[in-house]
Amino acid sequence: MKRVLSNKWSIAVFVLPTVLFFTYIVIIPIIKTAVYSMLSEIPAIAKEDSHFVGLDNYVTMFTQGKRNAWWNTDLGTSAVINSLKYAASSVFIQLPFAMFIALLLVNGVKGESFYRNIFFIPVVISSVVVSLLWQRIYKDLLPNLYDILGMQMPKGGILANKDTKMWAVFIPVLWQYVGYHMLLMYGALRSISTDIIEAATVDGATGARLAFRIQIPMIKPMLKVCLSFSLIGSFKLFDTPWILLERSNKSLPALSMYIEMFQNHKYSYASAQAMFIVVECLIFTVLLNVLFREKKEKYSLPRKETA
Amino acid sequence: MMRRKRTVGKVFSHSFLAVWVVLCLFPIYWMLVSSLKDNQEILTGIGLPTQWLFKNYASAWGKGDRVSLYLLNSVIDTASTLVITSLLGFMSAYGLLRMRWKGQKVVFTYILTGMMIPMHAALYPLTVTLMPLSRSHFSLIIPYAAFNIPITVLILSGFITSIPYELEEASCIDGAGIYRTAFTIILPMMVPAIATSAIFVFLQVWNELLLASVFASGDLLTLTMGIKQMSGQYQTDYGGMCAALVIATLPSMILYCCLSKQVQKSLIVGAVKG
Repeated sequence: MKRVLSNKWSIAVFVLPTVLFFTYIVIIPIIKTAVYSMLSEIPAIAKEDSHFVGLDNYVTMFTQGKRNAWWNTDLGTSAVINSLKYAASSVFIQLPFAMFIALLLVNGVKGESFYRNIFFIPVVISSVVVSLLWQRIYKDLLPNLYDILGMQMPKGGILANKDTKMWAVFIPVLWQYVGYHMLLMYGALRSISTDIIEAATVDGATGARLAFRIQIPMIKPMLKVCLSFSLIGSFKLFDTPWILLERSNKSLPALSMYIEMFQNHKYSYASAQAMFIVVECLIFTVLLNVLFREKKEKYSLPRKETA
Repeated sequence: MMRRKRTVGKVFSHSFLAVWVVLCLFPIYWMLVSSLKDNQEILTGIGLPTQWLFKNYASAWGKGDRVSLYLLNSVIDTASTLVITSLLGFMSAYGLLRMRWKGQKVVFTYILTGMMIPMHAALYPLTVTLMPLSRSHFSLIIPYAAFNIPITVLILSGFITSIPYELEEASCIDGAGIYRTAFTIILPMMVPAIATSAIFVFLQVWNELLLASVFASGDLLTLTMGIKQMSGQYQTDYGGMCAALVIATLPSMILYCCLSKQVQKSLIVGAVKG
């Protein structure tokens, strides 16, 4: 039996195809991107003329001055800051909203599975469809709404106006993913033992108090998942802004990378931007891990003594 | 007093949830009714169409070169990806978690790190590597499969370790080899887990845009990229555009309506992917 399960030949048959395939298509390209990001500009795909320049591309990213979309001296328009703004709106608007709905559902509303199923519908729709749908809503429906409310449309339309642009992209994303976060939180809240909730209720904790003191602290691991999901999602955000904003818009990191790569053919520079996105995601993942580890120790409930 | 407070609370929560139900469904309702209207009517009202223009669907569906073609391409790409991820995912999960060898943990971790890597980071080298395949479906199937293997292995790994080893012992005594045991005894038991991972991968691949924008062109356009391009051409035919959106949404909608529990479950399990 044991001999069969540790037969080298069959292990290789089971595991090796996947490992090779995965290495060749996922890992090696990442390493290549890291290498390219430290080369001087590659003319087209032949790379004879390029040489090692260290972190020059990364330096250029942050020092190009006023006309640079990635990191502008005028901070309001830089891609990195914009992605942080999206991350912040996602964390401070989307997640609390999802949490509120999840708490309402879990604390006993009639028809909770009906609500849950409805709220989850936008999640399964393609983000391309969602973006195109909202594009139509902005163009066909919103002007009427402004008319009815007796207000003026923002100059140039909601998608071109620089004050409303960001929100016009954020709203479809919010609309689509609130249901996802709601479901994750709801699932975690459901799994809290009813004993704990009952004990807290007997002690007089209801409503907000029950939520903030018992329910939310107990689903911290899931909160971490939601937080990293929405942070990483914001840093990688591509589909929705790519469709909604006009072409050659470089106001977000993934958009900027895409344009530098496939329109301007600055492969090394674009690779540096791609690596920046990866590193940014990693940093925030590590940060969340550290943050949630400390908190967990401080507030964890005392272990139940087994008599 | 207490009771009254609770009724107020109930009324509040129901009305809040009802408002969100309306906001959730309104864009979808609007897409459906707009797909049956002409431009004039789309721009002037949100009610049901006065005349149900099913010809919008006919014009979006096209004569074999529009949404029908994109749909076929998406089906081919997604189905092939699912076959590869399920097969390789199962085989490697079996080899990594069921069999006994040195370094299995290291290799397992190695594959799981793949989940942290966004496709953005591999985009340019991939376009170079896959250039020779750029006129075939494989240029999308290969990267889709490779990038979705880690999450498949993760989902399957949680399940495969819970199967008792006695099964393998029994089949071993009966004289079945390891491959026969894996594929005829363990694989059938893994079907629920494979379904969970397959649903997650389906939604990922069906809705993918970034890679499709690089590799899909001409006859190979997938639904996402196809309707994105149509939105350019269709600037003047809003009804046809909305019909295309409805067609593109139908497959995942049908899946969700039939298997809403399963879909929710697989997206909960897959959320760790980030």
